[in-house]
Amino acid sequence: MRLDPWRFLWSALFVAGLFAGPVVAQSIEDKLVIITSFPKDLTGPFQAAFEKKHAGAKVEVLNKSTSAGIKFLEETASKNTTDLFWASAPDAFEVLKGAGLLHKYSTKAKGIPEKIGSYPIHDPDGLYFGFAASGYGIMWNTRYVQAKGLPVAKEWDDLKKPVYFGHVAMSAPSRSGTTHLTVETILQGEGWDKGWATLKDISGNFKTVTERSFGVPDGVNSGDFGFGIVIDFFAFSSQASGFPVDFVYPKVTSVVPANIGIVKNAPHPKAAEAFVEFVLSPEGQEILLDPKIRRLPVNPATYSKAPQGFPNPFQDKSIGAGVKFDAKLSEQRYRAVSALFDVVVTYRHEDLAKATKAIHDAEAALAKKPNAEGAKLVKEARAAVTAMPISAAEAAKPEFAAVFTKTRAKKEDKAAGRQAEVEEQWDSFAKKNYADAKEKADKARSLAK
Amino acid sequence: MHPAPGRSAAVGVAVENVSLSFGAMQVLTDVNLAIEPGEFFALLGPSGCGKTTLLRLLAGFERANSGRVLIGGKDVSALPPWRRNVGMVFQSYALWPHMTVRRNVAFGLEERKIPRQQLADRVQRALDLVGLGALGERRPSQLSGGQQQRVALARTIVIEPDVLLLDEPLSNLDAKLRVQMRHELLTLQRTLSITTIFVTHDQEEANTTADRIAVVDRGVIQQVGTPIELYDRPANLFVANFLGVANVIPGSVSESGGRMMFRSREGDLVVPLPNGHRDIRSVVFRPQDIALMAADAASPPDKIRLSGVVSHREFLGGVVRYHVDAGTRAFVVEEPHRRNHVAVPPGAPVSLVLDPAHAVGVRD
Amino acid sequence: MIAEFRRHPGPAAVFFAVAAFLVVFLGVPVVNVVFVAFQDPATGAFTLVNFEDFFRTSLFRESFWNSIYVAAMTVVVASALALPLAYFTTRFHFGGAAVIQSLGVVPLIMPPFVGAVAMQLLFGRNGSINLLLDSWFGITIPFMSGLNGVIFVEAIHYFPFILLNVTASLQIIDRSMEESAQNLGSSGFRLFRRIVFPLAMPGYVAGASLVFLKVFDDLGTPLLLNVNKLLAPQAYLRISTVGVTDPMGYVISVILVAFSLLAMWAATLALRGKDYATVQRGGGGLARRRMRPSEKVGAYAVVLLVLVLVLSPHVGLALLSFGTVWSFSTTPDAYTLAHYHKIFEDTPEFVTNTVLYATLAAGIDVVLGTAIAYLVLRTRLPGRVWLDYMAMGAIVVPGLVLGIGYLRTFHGVEAPWGGQPLAAWWGILVIALAVRRLPYALRSCTAALQQLSVSLEEAAENLGAGKLRTVRRIVVPLMAGGMLAGFVTSFATAAVELSTTIMLVARESDAPLSYAIYVYMQSAAGRGPGAALGIVAVVIVALGAFFSHRVIESERRERAVLAAA
Repeated sequence: MRLDPWRFLWSALFVAGLFAGPVVAQSIEDKLVIITSFPKDLTGPFQAAFEKKHAGAKVEVLNKSTSAGIKFLEETASKNTTDLFWASAPDAFEVLKGAGLLHKYSTKAKGIPEKIGSYPIHDPDGLYFGFAASGYGIMWNTRYVQAKGLPVAKEWDDLKKPVYFGHVAMSAPSRSGTTHLTVETILQGEGWDKGWATLKDISGNFKTVTERSFGVPDGVNSGDFGFGIVIDFFAFSSQASGFPVDFVYPKVTSVVPANIGIVKNAPHPKAAEAFVEFVLSPEGQEILLDPKIRRLPVNPATYSKAPQGFPNPFQDKSIGAGVKFDAKLSEQRYRAVSALFDVVVTYRHEDLAKATKAIHDAEAALAKKPNAEGAKLVKEARAAVTAMPISAAEAAKPEFAAVFTKTRAKKEDKAAGRQAEVEEQWDSFAKKNYADAKEKADKARSLAK
Repeated sequence: MHPAPGRSAAVGVAVENVSLSFGAMQVLTDVNLAIEPGEFFALLGPSGCGKTTLLRLLAGFERANSGRVLIGGKDVSALPPWRRNVGMVFQSYALWPHMTVRRNVAFGLEERKIPRQQLADRVQRALDLVGLGALGERRPSQLSGGQQQRVALARTIVIEPDVLLLDEPLSNLDAKLRVQMRHELLTLQRTLSITTIFVTHDQEEANTTADRIAVVDRGVIQQVGTPIELYDRPANLFVANFLGVANVIPGSVSESGGRMMFRSREGDLVVPLPNGHRDIRSVVFRPQDIALMAADAASPPDKIRLSGVVSHREFLGGVVRYHVDAGTRAFVVEEPHRRNHVAVPPGAPVSLVLDPAHAVGVRD
Repeated sequence: MIAEFRRHPGPAAVFFAVAAFLVVFLGVPVVNVVFVAFQDPATGAFTLVNFEDFFRTSLFRESFWNSIYVAAMTVVVASALALPLAYFTTRFHFGGAAVIQSLGVVPLIMPPFVGAVAMQLLFGRNGSINLLLDSWFGITIPFMSGLNGVIFVEAIHYFPFILLNVTASLQIIDRSMEESAQNLGSSGFRLFRRIVFPLAMPGYVAGASLVFLKVFDDLGTPLLLNVNKLLAPQAYLRISTVGVTDPMGYVISVILVAFSLLAMWAATLALRGKDYATVQRGGGGLARRRMRPSEKVGAYAVVLLVLVLVLSPHVGLALLSFGTVWSFSTTPDAYTLAHYHKIFEDTPEFVTNTVLYATLAAGIDVVLGTAIAYLVLRTRLPGRVWLDYMAMGAIVVPGLVLGIGYLRTFHGVEAPWGGQPLAAWWGILVIALAVRRLPYALRSCTAALQQLSVSLEEAAENLGAGKLRTVRRIVVPLMAGGMLAGFVTSFATAAVELSTTIMLVARESDAPLSYAIYVYMQSAAGRGPGAALGIVAVVIVALGAFFSHRVIESERRERAVLAAA
């Protein structure tokens, strides 16, 4: 038996109050339940400051990974016990929005612009709110780079170079909404075909594709691999914790917000609203500057209090300037891009890496001893590696997106097959091409001997 | 529970038309037994004959497909083991290693909720009875085989069971200890005058202890009788061979002149069988019923004489056992040994003299 | 069929109670989730097309064979690690046997995430070992890459299953068995191979099948190494991808369950028709021999080598918990106690919650495990083996699936006290942990009962004890070693369970250690405190294991005082 006597007392008083007469409803509820994927380093200061401001309110923070959090909200929706969902990835909020699990609210917070870079800060429909911005870039371990004598990579294209073979890592876009944004940014910045070519050339240099987004900074921090493609605050907070790491924003990047949203039928709606307002207030925004958090405030005014060298995307136009991010396009082909990346890169990484290594070796050999036929073969090999099973137009078709979601909601929606079917086609395409590429590159290399 | 203290009369055990099978394997077939109160009764048979299964049936560990078991005239077929008040000593003794000797012995009384003081007294008495009064605090693993056997016995008799079941109780003991224990068992049984059923494959053990023996083979009771009856009047070939050594001469019975006559297959031996049956297939002579004579000695009248050669001999102390080849048959003959008596050497031609009066006709 | 139930009302009641528990807390929640596997994604109608897809997909076929290969090879490597430890410590006068056996359990407790980080820092491509190898000899060994990396890590992680079960088996083999073999001229390795090992078979099969199933189903290690061409990670990645409703994740879960049942059935067949009960349990006592000095040196060398290898992740974890920054170097830059200060400031209730939950869950497991083992081995109730299969099936149900199933099944049910949903009650988390770890306790209990001669129970019944009292007074005390082994395994693994926990924790004040570790490990600054919490978890479990061994050993010593003399 875990009857909370205080809760019982409070609810008794509340019921008594209802009958006693109208209650002035200015104060908020005494409790607030937040589900978040953020680390304690981030939630702790907000929680403490909020509880200080609203004496008597007890904030209960429940940490769940983004996917577990969504599943939890879905499963408990019939009898919701959660007030707020607080996480980075905008896609997670899109899923909740699509499932009708978020509560509409319009914030009273002032001074927050409509967009950061080309990305809208708040959900246009008012279901979730951006409270901090993050950009994507390259993080590296300085000891590692020094020990292995590697040059520092500043742009995505640098990471394609043979010298980085086996030294880079990224998380899978299907596993991390932030990584998905990185991939989508490259695809939009460079175009579908060229973008995939860049991605595959970089991926060929991967040591590994990690299962969770924090796996990348973790690996860079440990020195398991030298370079990681990460969201900025991972690098900043690692630096703040003393790890020998550094970070750079490439030209092609975008700045996107991390979000908070009120859950539908929240048991403590007033407290939830108060918390959202608090996070967006100047007071709350300032907490983001804490060295262990190091996220970019969405209120430009807050940057005046930032320490020296703190990046300011509202002023430094080089951050996120390269791309005009089309959120709608991203949304349309979200699943297709994630699944495509998993099939052709994550699950076939071994084959891709072998082909990439063979091409690198062949090119090195040809550089020493040029051979026209060899050069042609290498070119064909590169084309085989970068070829994609579907085009940009196909990927954006609604029936294609339907392959990856339940379509039972609407009968007229059509799906272009089952996910497993589609993936099998992609897989055999990729497997064959990587094998071809390796064979051709090996042949080219033997020609240059 | 049965009121145990101050028991007076022993009870009888009856097995009626019991059959039992494990799946397709028939283990017991139409078994009928009537065991008298206070009787020491042995189930004798080769391993795998079903005698242990029969014992476990009496204890309630097996359930018959048909037939019933009566103890003291009461049908116990439906009772679980713990309601039968039948004490069993297991072949492996099954002493509980996590309990001391005293706790092992006290177990059954504790289950019967005997008051503490009385319990302690009875346990001590039982331990004294088996001569282990001083070893109550030992663990079973600290005892010798013979001591473990006594603990198992004490553990069983302390509950004063209606019937005592012994499953090959002496098989794990050395020869000398076995003889001693068998004597002790018998004394104990007589003291307690408890109906006892004893499973063994050793005919000597059965002969020396049991009042009556049931010989079991392939799940069927072959014959029930006192040891002497079984030895002298075996009902069939199996019993004849299982109890002692038998010289078996196959043949057939026919009636001639109102008399039943047995004729051996070779035709060299014809004996009258006063109470013979047509289904008799052999006659049996015990080794001591055949006389060994010099090949050229005169033949006594009314006796059958066969010629043979001694193949080898065994000196057994009291007797000398000769193996004699006579034509296609081999005979075993035993002669009492006396000092200065010269034994017949192997290879010597001899005459075998058989007295038709000693022939026992047996069925297959 | 039904007559059998009617004839034995006691066992029948236990049977139905256990069955009800398994159906409510395992069957219903899992079916509630995996039915998607049998649905047409487009129409929702019943279909097997998803299973066709599974076998048509080359990625899944490769994953399937990889999973079998990894599981089988792990059993081989884990056996090589476990058997010397088990044999030397039970069969010889071996100083520190209890310590060695307790330390041998420690690898099972690999706290989530931090364990992985520690392993990478030691064995990774640029971990301590490889950095040293590289600077000394200019070579590196890929301990942690590809399928062989998975086998390496899994073997270190799960070999205690074999160690625990084989040790329990070896301890109840009568010494006469070995003495008769020695008498007939067998000794050394031949004695082990021909007599000791075959007699310890129930324990070995129990342990090896656990290792096989656990590895076959394991997520943590492949994910740590980012090896995803295995079935379990394929299922997990598909189930946990945000917003995707791919049924393949559940299809793979169903296939994992089906294949694991098949493997268990095969293990049962392997033991069927063989008698492993050593008749006089403890009758002759335990055979402990003395080693010659040269043998002793060799044995200690082997044991130490194995211990160093299997404990190295925890050494790494300890370094991590005391270290400041550890990056691309053989050891941390400097040492501090700050991480421990932090965790004791932040989260004292996590420790008590963990001990409470893991104790309760392991207690439930031992009770259920004993009950099921008894029903299977000592009764003829129809359907009893299905209880066994069902309980074992829990081992392959991904924690995520179980967690979702619990929410789906119990969130709508209001707890009879207060207005909260049943799924939010901490007791449900305990039950979920118990269900997940039941297979461990069950295998240990089954092996222990298998080696208990039936005549010991029959003797008790013959003397007037009913079934229940026989179980209480004879079976349970004699199975105590196996039950304790089961308890320790369940406890140790429940203490670091994460995937179900993270789904079901509804209040931070109810959360166990693993949740706290997870929270810490979401940030760079949390690595040290996370490792410190991991060490706390390991210490708790190791102490538990050590005291358990002490209890068993003192009991045994008491039993064998004179036998040894």
